[in-house]
Amino acid sequence: MDDLLDKLPEMDLMRSEKMTLVQLIIPVESAHRSVTYLGELGLLQFRDLNADKSPFQRTFATQVKRCGEMSRKLRFFKDQIDKAGLRCLPRRHELEPDIELGDLERKLADHEHEVLEMNSNSEKLRQTYNELLGFKIVLQKASGFLVSSNAHAIGDETELRESTYSNNGFIESSSLLEQEMKPEPLNQSGLRFISGIINKDKLLRFERMLFRATRGNMLFNQTPSDEEIMDPSTSEMVEKIVFVVFFSGEQARTKILKICEAFGANCYSVPEDTTKQRQLTREVLSRLSDLEATLDAGTRHWNNALNAVGYSLTKWVTTVRREKAVYDTLNMLNFDVTKKCLVGEGWCPTFAKTQIHEVLQRATSDSNSQVGVIFHVMHAVESPPTYFRTNKLTNAFQEIIDAYGVARYQEANPAVYSVVTYPFLFAVMFGDWGHGLCLLLGALYLLARERKLSKQKLGSFMEMLFGGRYVILLMALFSIYCGLIYNEFFSVPFHIFGGSAYKCRDTTCSDAYTAGLVKYRDPYPFGVDPSWRGSRSELPYLNSLKMKMSILLGIAQMNLGLILSFFNARFFGSSLDIRYQFIPQMIFLNSLFGYLSLLIIIRWCTGSQADLYHVMIYMFLSPTEELGENELFWGQRPLQILLLLMAFIAVPWMLFPKPFALRKIHMERFQGRTYGLLGTSEEDLDVEPDSARSHQGEEFNISEIFVHQLIHSIEFVLGSVSNTASYLRLWALSLAHSELSTVFYEKVLLLAWGYENILIRLIGVVVFAFATAFILLMMETLSAFLHALRLHWVEFMGKFFHGDGYKFVPFSFALLSDDNE
Amino acid sequence: MGFLVTTLIFVAVGIIASLCVTICCNRGPSTNLLHLTLIISATVCCWMMWAIVYLAQMKPLIVPILNEGE
Repeated sequence: MDDLLDKLPEMDLMRSEKMTLVQLIIPVESAHRSVTYLGELGLLQFRDLNADKSPFQRTFATQVKRCGEMSRKLRFFKDQIDKAGLRCLPRRHELEPDIELGDLERKLADHEHEVLEMNSNSEKLRQTYNELLGFKIVLQKASGFLVSSNAHAIGDETELRESTYSNNGFIESSSLLEQEMKPEPLNQSGLRFISGIINKDKLLRFERMLFRATRGNMLFNQTPSDEEIMDPSTSEMVEKIVFVVFFSGEQARTKILKICEAFGANCYSVPEDTTKQRQLTREVLSRLSDLEATLDAGTRHWNNALNAVGYSLTKWVTTVRREKAVYDTLNMLNFDVTKKCLVGEGWCPTFAKTQIHEVLQRATSDSNSQVGVIFHVMHAVESPPTYFRTNKLTNAFQEIIDAYGVARYQEANPAVYSVVTYPFLFAVMFGDWGHGLCLLLGALYLLARERKLSKQKLGSFMEMLFGGRYVILLMALFSIYCGLIYNEFFSVPFHIFGGSAYKCRDTTCSDAYTAGLVKYRDPYPFGVDPSWRGSRSELPYLNSLKMKMSILLGIAQMNLGLILSFFNARFFGSSLDIRYQFIPQMIFLNSLFGYLSLLIIIRWCTGSQADLYHVMIYMFLSPTEELGENELFWGQRPLQILLLLMAFIAVPWMLFPKPFALRKIHMERFQGRTYGLLGTSEEDLDVEPDSARSHQGEEFNISEIFVHQLIHSIEFVLGSVSNTASYLRLWALSLAHSELSTVFYEKVLLLAWGYENILIRLIGVVVFAFATAFILLMMETLSAFLHALRLHWVEFMGKFFHGDGYKFVPFSFALLSDDNE
Repeated sequence: MGFLVTTLIFVAVGIIASLCVTICCNRGPSTNLLHLTLIISATVCCWMMWAIVYLAQMKPLIVPILNEGE
C-alpha cells in the first residue's frame, strides 16, 4: 500500500508549498529598482535583518520620513477636496510617465503652499463679510427701535449721542461710516444706546448680565434677524438676534461694551437720523456685494487649484505608498563591510526561484549596473512560512481554517476536506429545502454581481458576505439536499418520491389515533417518510433518528481526523508517532465508539428491541454478565470483553512508550554530538552562526516530555467521550430549526389563512415572511455556521492539527493595504 | 427501491461526476486530484446521510400515531 500511496500525484493544497531561504546581494545602484520589481512580482518575504535597530537608526530613515511628509500633504489635499465637495475623476493615468520622487515632493510642496495661502485669505475675507452682514442686519432692524424710541423720547434732544465700537476695527475708506466711528464729545448726558447683534442662544444670559451690571437702569430691546449668518468657527449657520440697549452714564457704557465683548456680540453704530441710516445702509450693501464677488472669485480659484491636484491625486497616493513600502523594505537589508552592496534574506516558494532570478536580472540591466545581483540558496534553521496557493473557491475555506491557526509548515491542510464537510455539517443542522432555495438565490445574486462588487468598497458586513459567496453557495446546495432528505419545505412534507410506506390498518382508520398506522411496504425510497409530520410520535422517532445520525457522522469525521494524523506522521517520517500514538488512539476510539456505531447499525437492520444505553453501560460495569434480551448478535459478550480489554491496553500504550523511546533516540544522537561539530561546515559567512548552533544544544528533559505525553493522552481519552457527545449539537440544532419553522408555518400562516378576511391573510403572510427571513434565514444560518465551525476546529482538527506555523506574507504592491483611509 | 440498488446509484453518480470533472476542467495532476477528493467526499457524505435515514426506517420500533386534530 505504501508504494500505491507514493505513486499518487501530490496535491498542492494538501501541504504547504516548499519554501527556500534565499540570500540576495544587491549593488547599491540597483537596490531601489530591484526592490521595486520584486514588489511588483510579490513572491518574496523579506526577513528583517535590522530588527534590533529603532526606526531612526535605520539607513533609509530620511527617505521614509519624506514619504510620510508627502502622504500627509496628500491627505490634506484629499480633505480639502472633500470639503469643497468636488468629485475628481482621475485622468487615464496609464499614459503618464512614472514620476520621480524628488519632482513629486516639490510639486506637492508648491500646491500645498498655494492652497494654504488661499485658505487663509478666504478666511479673512469671510470674517469681514460676516461683520458687514451683521452690520446690515443691525441697520435694518435697529432703525425700527430708534423710530419707536423717538416717539416717546424722554427729552427734546435733537440728536442722541451714539457711541460706537466695533470689535475688529474695519479701517476702510473714509465715508459716513468713519465719521460715525469717532466718539462725539458728550455735552449733554442723555439717553444713549448701543446696538449690536448676538447669537440667539446667548441672548438670555446676556440680558441678565446687562441687567445686573447696570442695576436695572437700562432698556433692552431685541428682535430676531431674518437671515442666518455663518459662524466662522463651526461653519454652521446660526440664528442671530439684533438688540438695542438704552442706558445713561459713561460707566454704564464701558460696562456694557465689556459685556458685549465677553459674549462675542458685535456692536455697530446706528445713526439716529433716518437719512444717514439710509446712506449707511446703501454703503454697506455695496460693500457687501463687492465682498461677495471677491469671495466667489476666490472660491472659483480654489476649486480650480484643487481640481488640478485632484486629477492626479490617486496616482500620487499610490506612488507615495509604494515608495514608502520600498524604503521600509530597503531598511530591512544590511550594508555589507565594503558599503557597496546591500545584503538581504528572504523566503520564497521554490517554484518562484526562476521568476525572481529573471526579475533581478531585468533590474540590473535597467539600472545599468556593472555588477549583477547575487542570488543563492541558504540553509535555514527556523521553520519556513506556510503558503497555500488558493483560488476563489478554496480561498474562503482556507481563511476559515487560518482563523483557528495557520498550519505548520507542510502538515496536512484541513481546508481540503472542509470544502465539503463544512457545508455538509451546516446543512445537517439547517435541513430545509425551502430555506436552502432562498440561500441559493442569495448566493447566485452575489455571484452574478461578482465583477461589479469586487471593485467597489463594501461595508464590513457586505464584505464578509461577498467574501464567503462560494461558501454560501455550497451551503445552499447541501441544504437543499438535506432538506429533501428530512422532507421539509418550510416544514411541509411532500410526496415527491412516491407514496408513504404507512397506511391505516383497515379502511375505517378507527385506530389511527390510538395504535397508529402500519408499515406495509419497503421504506420510503429517499428521505423521511411524509406520514411522520404532524403525528404524535413524530418527535420520539425523529429524535432517536437524528441523535444516532449525529453519532455516526461524528465518529466518521473523527476517524478521518485520526487518519490524517497517520498521513502526517508518515510524511514527516516519524514512525514513533505511528506506533505509539496513532494505533492506540484508533484502537481506543473505535473499540468503544466505533462499536457503538456498529451496534446502532445492527439494531436498525435487525429491528431488535435491545436497549443500547443498557448495553453500553453494562459493558463497562459488568462485562461478563449474560445479555439476555439485549443480545443483538451471536458472540456479542466475548466481543465486548475483547474490545474492553483492547481499550484498557490502549491507554498505557499511548502514554508510556513514546517518552522512553524519545529519550533513547536522544541519547544515541547525543553520544555522537561531541564529534559532530567539526563535521558541519557553514557555507554562508554572513549568516548568524551562533543562533544556529544554540538550537541543537538544548537539553532533553524527560519529565517535561512525560508530562506533555500525559496531557496529550488524557486529553484524547476524555476528549473521545466529550467530542462524541459534542456532535449531538447536529441533532439539537436541526430539531430547533424544524420546530421553529413548524411554529411559523402552523401558528402564523395557517392561522391567518383560516380567516376569510383578506387583510388578516395579508398580515399573516407578511409576518411569516419577516419571521422566516430574519429568524430562520439570518439567525439560524449564523448559528449553524458557528456550530459547524466549532465542530471543525475542535473535534475534527484537534485530532491532527498543530497550527503553530506563520503565514507567508510576501512583499507585494498588490497587498499594500489602504491604511490611510 | 432497495438499499443496494440505491447505493450502486450513488456510486455510479460519483464515478460519472469525477469523470466529467476530469475531462472538462483538466488543469494538471494536482488540481485533478483535488477535484477528485472533493467529489468523492461529497458523494460519501451524501450517501451516508441517505443510508442512515433509510436504514433507520427499515424496521422501525414505533409507528406514526395521528394527531386528534387531523
